[in-house]
Amino acid sequence: MQPVTQARTGSGSAIAVRGLQVAYGGTRVLHGVDLDFAPGSFTALLGSSGCGKTTLLRSLSGFVPVESGSIVVGGSNVAGLPPEKRGMAMVFQSYALWPHMTVLQNIGYGLKLRGRSKAEIAAKVGEMLRFLGLAGYEDRKVTALSGGQRQRVALGRALAIDPGILLLDEPLSNLDAKIRMVMRHEIRSIQQRLGLTAVHVTHDREEAMTMADRLVIMQAGRVAQVGTPEEVYDHPASAFVANFMGAENVLPLVVTQGEGQASVAAGEARAILTGAPASALPAGETLAYFRDDVARLGAPDAPAAGGDLVVPGTIAARAYPGGVYRYKVEAAGRQITVDDADRHELGTKVGLRIPLQRLHIFPASEAGISA
Amino acid sequence: MPLSQRNLALLLIAPGLALVAALFLYPLSFSLVSAFTGPDGGFSLGSFRKAWELYSGDVVFTVVIVLSSCLLTGLMAVVIAGTLTLGENRYIVGTLKALYRWPLFIPFIVAAQCMRTFLAKNGLMNNTFVSLGLMEPLQAVSFLDWRGIIATFVWKQTPFVALLLAGALASLDRATLEAGRNLGASRLRVLVELALPQVMPQLLVALVLSFVTMLSVLSVPMMVSGSQPTMLTVDMAFRINAYGDYSTANALGVITYLLSAGAAIIYLKRGMSQESTR
Repeated sequence: MQPVTQARTGSGSAIAVRGLQVAYGGTRVLHGVDLDFAPGSFTALLGSSGCGKTTLLRSLSGFVPVESGSIVVGGSNVAGLPPEKRGMAMVFQSYALWPHMTVLQNIGYGLKLRGRSKAEIAAKVGEMLRFLGLAGYEDRKVTALSGGQRQRVALGRALAIDPGILLLDEPLSNLDAKIRMVMRHEIRSIQQRLGLTAVHVTHDREEAMTMADRLVIMQAGRVAQVGTPEEVYDHPASAFVANFMGAENVLPLVVTQGEGQASVAAGEARAILTGAPASALPAGETLAYFRDDVARLGAPDAPAAGGDLVVPGTIAARAYPGGVYRYKVEAAGRQITVDDADRHELGTKVGLRIPLQRLHIFPASEAGISA
Repeated sequence: MPLSQRNLALLLIAPGLALVAALFLYPLSFSLVSAFTGPDGGFSLGSFRKAWELYSGDVVFTVVIVLSSCLLTGLMAVVIAGTLTLGENRYIVGTLKALYRWPLFIPFIVAAQCMRTFLAKNGLMNNTFVSLGLMEPLQAVSFLDWRGIIATFVWKQTPFVALLLAGALASLDRATLEAGRNLGASRLRVLVELALPQVMPQLLVALVLSFVTMLSVLSVPMMVSGSQPTMLTVDMAFRINAYGDYSTANALGVITYLLSAGAAIIYLKRGMSQESTR
């Protein structure tokens, strides 16, 4: 890709969303969303299907009518304006290029609407195509382009009008894995060079983490957590967020708070945690969430030391996804997925060594998802 | 394929083939031959000469009427299908959706009869204008001439074209229309510049089929406009009923075939170009 010819740092606009409620035919989809998008920031809206992330993006762009609440851009509320008056450029999942137009006509359409002359449009489109690594493609039919090229044209069409805000509606989900990786970096670097405020909807966790500088996790029409990728990954605010961010193993624990320490028990297995992490633990019946790479397999009778919980279990299944073995271990009445470098036979009795520091522990009553 | 199976296949399609041959190919060939046969039984272009001398004005009239009706039908259908696809007022869209297909189920002859009572000098339209004070009774004019024929054709064919067009518009990727609005295009511009070019093939096919239908309607020109000039179907009926002059009627028939053939060529060419792009 060519270096950007005109770096316009800081041209992004701020967006302030307050009390946004959206309903489809009587069913409420967004229940009062409050969010701020700083100028030049890259925010990923992340969540499972039906959580309202696409609805939030489409209400920002004006394609979904807002029931109540405000969307303030540049000091004025745009919630009641039609899409064409909002000045936000959107990149669609299906690319949404116009098949009866050439690459030049597609990218230049927004400029044509703004009354630019043909020469100006041709110059701007030429610059945009060089920028996107598609120099000389002006007269190609868009139907003759590959998926990656089409997505670049779609991006060029959105960027050609110099928008302050770029909305990305799962723009990479129709691309194959290799091109998706390339486009992630391209979109991110373009956004940074132009200083645009970008809002990106995706259900791909890794895509969101690698592209965005801030994640918004959505759950059933509400914001579940907002934070940097590190904050959301390492310190999930709820069981849902922990589970969504990949901590899919669930282990019921009983936490008993004592003098400056906490005792954690899973069935017969016990461990003691001391210091500040101990006092932060909720007492009573809890559920611990952790990722596949957290637990280690050891001997079933190994001593529990250094704040590790050793839960006895039996290997029920084994797979080799590459690099490490992935085991299903029956332990504490649950099936726990564990990655381990060593090969163990099915039916082997093992001790599941789980470092307490790396567990995300929530009161059982608050864990809103099935354990 | 073994011969026995092949014979069986021929046997299976034989009844259909016989029906087509007896009811379509035979009369068609007969009328073609008759059009080119002189009074002495030999080959002659006499019927065409006579048809052209008597009815050349009506040939032009027919072409103009049908083409203008197609044009207006296309415009009306675009307005209806565009409103159905891009309309935002759900009451207007709902009402239009419920009403626009009705004329599809009304035969041409009934439509023509309705237009007679609606467009006549003392018809419903003029009476309404007079009672609303928009017009003096003396100013009332009859629209039962070429304007009445066009009005009837457009009223009858618009739902058909709008139905096909609305279907084609509904099957477009909506994101291509939203992308236009997102960049700043009004709904009208989205319809004209982004949606219609994508469904042009379907619109053209619907209009070609309407062209052929309008060309073959007898009841509408006969009932709506009794005066001269009139359409070729009326002339053909007149030649046969008044004079038993089959050869001139057949010559007019051949002219009509040629006009529909022109439309059919556009239809087939469009179909083939679509096949090749697939």
